[in-house]
Amino acid sequence: MARVSFHHVYKQYRSEKKTSVTDFHLEIEDGEFVVLVGPSGCGKTTTLRMLSGLEDITEGEIYIGDRYINYVSPKDRDIAMVFQNYALYPNLSVYENMALGLKLRKTAKHEIELRVKKAAKILEISALLDKKPNQLSGGQKQRVALGRAIVREPEVFLMDEPLSNLDAKLRTQTRSELIRLHQELQTTTVYVTHDQTEAMTMGSRIVVMKDGIIQQAAAPEFIYRQPANLFVASFIGSPAMNLIEGSIEEDGGTHYFSNRRLRLEIPPQYKPFLASGKLRNVVMGIRPEHVLLEPTLEDPNDSYGAVIDVIELMGSDSYLYLSMGDTRVIARAIEPGSKFHVTDKIDIGFRMEMAHFFDAESGGNLGIF
Amino acid sequence: MMAIVKQIRRLTLFETLLLLALLLLAAFMSLPIVFIINHAFKPFHELFLFPPTFLVKDPTLTNFYELFMRPVARIVPFSRYLYNSIIVAALSMVAVILSSCMAAYVLSKLQFSLKKAVMAMIMLALMFAPETVAIPRYLIVGWLQLNNTYFGHILPVIASPVAVFLIKQFIDQIPAELLEAAKMDGASELRIFIRIIIPLSMPAIATISIITFQGVWGDASASTLFMQDETMKTLPYYITTLTSGMANTVAGQGMAAAAGLLMFLPNLIIFLFAQRRIMETMVHSGVK
Ligand SMILES: Nc1ncnc2c1ncn2[C@@H]1O[C@H](COP(=O)(O)OP(=O)(O)O)[C@@H](O)[C@H]1O
Ligand SMILES: [Mg+2]
Repeated sequence: MARVSFHHVYKQYRSEKKTSVTDFHLEIEDGEFVVLVGPSGCGKTTTLRMLSGLEDITEGEIYIGDRYINYVSPKDRDIAMVFQNYALYPNLSVYENMALGLKLRKTAKHEIELRVKKAAKILEISALLDKKPNQLSGGQKQRVALGRAIVREPEVFLMDEPLSNLDAKLRTQTRSELIRLHQELQTTTVYVTHDQTEAMTMGSRIVVMKDGIIQQAAAPEFIYRQPANLFVASFIGSPAMNLIEGSIEEDGGTHYFSNRRLRLEIPPQYKPFLASGKLRNVVMGIRPEHVLLEPTLEDPNDSYGAVIDVIELMGSDSYLYLSMGDTRVIARAIEPGSKFHVTDKIDIGFRMEMAHFFDAESGGNLGIF
Repeated sequence: MMAIVKQIRRLTLFETLLLLALLLLAAFMSLPIVFIINHAFKPFHELFLFPPTFLVKDPTLTNFYELFMRPVARIVPFSRYLYNSIIVAALSMVAVILSSCMAAYVLSKLQFSLKKAVMAMIMLALMFAPETVAIPRYLIVGWLQLNNTYFGHILPVIASPVAVFLIKQFIDQIPAELLEAAKMDGASELRIFIRIIIPLSMPAIATISIITFQGVWGDASASTLFMQDETMKTLPYYITTLTSGMANTVAGQGMAAAAGLLMFLPNLIIFLFAQRRIMETMVHSGVK
């Protein structure tokens, strides 16, 4: 097990004009489960492949433990990778697939057998060892691919969207198994996904990327509560955070967020961050669970009319898709919504102490820097 | 048998007609095969019947006996030509498979700057008819002093654009991740080639083996052009000599018929065994 450090790493493909990964700087602690998340094409795979040695590093340094590995070949980096399409050797049996890495490293035969059997037991694939990959289901292939990584007992696991070829149910199941596996083995893991739910549930730390640049790297709850910018705010969380454009005004020592429709008092704790008296184009972000609906609405003076467009039932709660003129707002209704009906006009409010304010131009969170 | 009958019963009228048409076509296409087999067993007088017959009336082994035991003043016996043919065909197959697979792997999976140029040259080479390169070939074989060696038979066929192309199409479909996984497992380039690329391209390799075998087995040009020494010539050349020359046009017909069958048999056997594999490759690669 080992730490992994990226020191201002850049990647520019020869065919591309721009860098695909820009100034990637990150310290990964020993035993951490770090998830790189971001939309397709943001450079997650590229970053992972630079760490694996399959892609060379244009600029910057990568360390595994204390070892500078920029020019170390993939096989000598003591890492194991799980690929999205599993990449099992179709002409070898499951056992041979798992054993090959050890065999090529001249591990003793009984040792290989021991490790493969142990990994197979952990992953519950002991019965499949003699089969060929094409006789397995997607979920089973995924386990074999994991097994192939586990038996090597590497310093670091790399996983590139390992669950995206599985159906929804299997994905949820394998997700929790991966978490269990990580708790058991405590191996440093770098996990790539474009699915924010996966990132939120699995990562001990999440690195949100966009256009090759790290937007924010922090624990899942922290990112959820304190998104660094508009992109992170809209990317993390499902359904997404409500983003409402407006400006900030000062009136008698109190700040207000206002636009044509709303005028909301900003709680005093934001004061230090807000430029005094200056008008600013801002975007207010508020999560669906912080939109107040009728029974919890405290101050009727601070409420606004909205029309229910769609009601989405999600088991215990439901989400109301509301419109206030041309502003759309999503609200979470905790009690299942027999009392709400589509096209109803209702009153809503906002828990302003939970709101975020972002600079409309730079996108930065005004409450963080 | 019952299953087949059942299947036939289930056919619609159109399908039945189609089946009949296909059966007729197949029968027609197999006529040459029937002819070759029957012809080899015809006694001398039947060979020259007019109109020619497909089926032999009075089968005999004389033709084969003459072919193998021909007591004339030939210095080189039939078996020597057969031996040469087998050696040349086998070595050519091995050489073509090795060189084509290696070239195809490199062109398909490795990145290097001259790749496009090399591919373009291979495409270009695909367009030349063998006749157009006969003279350059002759000169090269001469310069390298390969006349009257087995290598002189083999060298001209080693670089096979069709084979490289066919296998490349196949290797293109092997996902890059598979090779990367192997690399991370610690496999060397050579090991990846032998343990992953070769086994996965087996259908394509089977196909090019057959193509190569057929090309070499039936080709007399190397024997005619590069081999002056009679002991280095191959079977197809020998067969042409059976019926050429004043005395032979008539007398050699029986032996030629028997030799024709012998020449044809390996092709038939290989095809019957490898049929499925070939189809697979053709479908996969989109190359005829
Ligand atoms: N082999 C390559 N050659 C050139 N450009 C590439 C290559 N691989 C990825 N890219 C580019 O790098 C960027 C990041 O890609 P990638 O790391 O695959 O994104 P992600 O995994 O986050 O979807 C993309 O803009 C993509 O076009
Ligand atoms: Mg990717």
